[in-house]
Amino acid sequence: MRLIRFLSYLAGIALSLLLAWVFFPGKQTEMDRLAPATLKWIPSLDETEEFCQFGHPEWRQAQTIEGVDIEEDPQCKPDNPYVVASVVKGTDKISMPTLMKTRLAMDAVVKQDDRDGDGDPDVIHIKLEVAELNGSTPDGDFLIPGYRIAPNLTPGIWVFVPKMRGMATIDSVNLDANPLLRAPSPPIRVEQGDTVYLTLENSHYLPHTIHLHGVDHPYLSADGKGNDGVPISSEKPLMPGERRTYRIQPRQPGSMLYHCHVQTDKHMLMGLQGLFIVEENRPNNWLQTFNIGAGKVRHPSRANRERFDQEYDLHFQSLDKERYQPIQDHNDPRLVAKAMNREYDITDADEDFFLLNGESFPYSLRDSLVVVEPDQKVRLRVLNGHPRTLAVHFHGHKTRTIALDGVPLKHPFIRDVQALAPAQRLDLVLDTHDDGLHSFGPGAWLLHDHAEKSVTSDGVGPGGDISLVIYRQLLDENGFPKLQGMDLVPFFNRWFYQKQVPVWARSKEWEIYADAGALPPNPIRVIISGMLLGLSLGLIFLGWRDWRKSR
Amino acid sequence: MRLKHWIVLLLFIPVLSLASHRMDMDSMVMNENPMTLPEGCPQIAGDKKITVRAGRKYAGKFPGLVFAYDQQSWEVAPCTRLTVRFINEDHIRHQFMVHGLPPKTYPEGMFTIEVSGPGEETAAFILPPYKKTYLVHCDIAQHTEHGMKAQIKVAGGDRELASLPGLTKPIRPDRYPTDWKPFSITMLLLALVGGLGLVWGGRWLIKAMSE
Repeated sequence: MRLIRFLSYLAGIALSLLLAWVFFPGKQTEMDRLAPATLKWIPSLDETEEFCQFGHPEWRQAQTIEGVDIEEDPQCKPDNPYVVASVVKGTDKISMPTLMKTRLAMDAVVKQDDRDGDGDPDVIHIKLEVAELNGSTPDGDFLIPGYRIAPNLTPGIWVFVPKMRGMATIDSVNLDANPLLRAPSPPIRVEQGDTVYLTLENSHYLPHTIHLHGVDHPYLSADGKGNDGVPISSEKPLMPGERRTYRIQPRQPGSMLYHCHVQTDKHMLMGLQGLFIVEENRPNNWLQTFNIGAGKVRHPSRANRERFDQEYDLHFQSLDKERYQPIQDHNDPRLVAKAMNREYDITDADEDFFLLNGESFPYSLRDSLVVVEPDQKVRLRVLNGHPRTLAVHFHGHKTRTIALDGVPLKHPFIRDVQALAPAQRLDLVLDTHDDGLHSFGPGAWLLHDHAEKSVTSDGVGPGGDISLVIYRQLLDENGFPKLQGMDLVPFFNRWFYQKQVPVWARSKEWEIYADAGALPPNPIRVIISGMLLGLSLGLIFLGWRDWRKSR
Repeated sequence: MRLKHWIVLLLFIPVLSLASHRMDMDSMVMNENPMTLPEGCPQIAGDKKITVRAGRKYAGKFPGLVFAYDQQSWEVAPCTRLTVRFINEDHIRHQFMVHGLPPKTYPEGMFTIEVSGPGEETAAFILPPYKKTYLVHCDIAQHTEHGMKAQIKVAGGDRELASLPGLTKPIRPDRYPTDWKPFSITMLLLALVGGLGLVWGGRWLIKAMSE
């Protein structure tokens, strides 16, 4: 009898708990006659960046520094003109006060020997280091050196950088990366026929090499050492703390590529890739050896000045969260190597962040605009750094392809979507003559990859590699585009790309698309589930009392 | 270094020395200070010279690290003039950068020696009078994080810095697989017997007390 009684208690408790679980209000509640009120969102000023906060507006002007002519760059954040002057003259030739405004090492770019007597140097020494951006640290829960591709977006990136001096960070308090440490790996320019010594100083904690993709170079250097940068065929990877010099004397001009060839599905796609441009030989042709951050070339080559009004480098690339996660999870290189080389699988991968010149929208509006005037011919050197096809589209324009992979085309073609295979380069001419074909007239015309996920950042749009071909008259005095579309403030809020705030919500009219509030749980369900829970508790108590009495 | 580099350097020595900053192709020194007394130091208490070697090989004895100094901690008396001979044994840049110094004497509170590749540089600075621990590291991207971190303790220092190779635990340590070796299993079994012993011992104690 006692057993039956206890089994009855148990059955009663189980049944009441089961019913309580069934009737308990769920995560979502059905509306009755009225849906819940709208949750208003007003971006906090403290959490929203200014469109353009830049301490050196004088850098935007056309200027001459130590005899180097530097073109105007009216965008919000132009390239540092002192860096431009230093890499044109050579970091060993520029004056110390100018070099001190750059953070470049004195041996970053050394130019010597005018062998053909045409007024420019023909032996060029270039030194590169490797830097990790947004890596983990054993000293706390932060990433160092910090680099944002858009507000509050800090993916792990590796870049080749010109040899520097001093700190990696802005200063000892601000742990963001200094202005030279940024994506993309900088476009490098050399002259056809130059003897170029490209030295890689591996300052990173993993092995790397440089492969000069498409650049005329011997397989072995004069001393019999590997010169192709490929670990399985020409040379061993360069270990941390070591240096190696690649020697090239390119006979053909064109837009080429350099990239790390160690575990290319990881290293190249982590950002170790950049444009390598061989300029046509001309007299007195002093080149801008590095174009930090790509974009506008402020000191174009002689050949480009003869044929074009302006020149821009456009480097498209993408990042995969699963690929870079190991460098933000671990410090130990053995854990990083295992996670990247064995646990990450690119055949299952999908890209999450899309960069144009190292940044995503809206930061691309600060320093990756293509700023034009009517009736100009602008040369665009486009690199596809994605692991898949890129479909570059310019609103309001059809561009003319004049070279593919550095090889001039006998029959240039005009398109409004220009396709590039992975690692491919296109030389495009953006003609701003308003004839209804090349240009539809002045405007702030969108420029982006037409593979639609590229215009998002981790799926949130507008983001990704969106930028603008903008006519000069539509830039304000701070270099910011005068636009008349959506309010841009939410895109500069730190929570926007974290998917924490609504995409449309900034005016009374648009509130209908803001987040809906929550509903209280159904009262009948609350009462029934509460009573059932009480019943089960009561049965537990009675059962316990009976058990004690029976002993 | 080539003759012309020396000429460039000599031309700029006046500018550089004004800013306590000297630089050439091979090295750079910032905020060198062999003479100016930091606030609170009545005089230079003494001279101390250290040789610091930096390179990948010094990380060899610390599993999971890539770059390191040959030593991770130095003890220095207050107001000592510390002359640092910094030797870089790698073919990349390394730094000996000290933080937390008084900004009145050392702009941004820093003293730095940077050597551009294999080679060395020597410079001196005077430590303040207070009991304090100063961070020493190489501020090239991810070098501190991969082992190139140390400390200078004045008058015994006021703390131990975290993540010093072989000396102190990181604030955010890496995690590794747990490895159950026979020793750990034996320890667990002994602890289990100990736990049982506690029960019997407790029963015995209660019985003894009630009697």
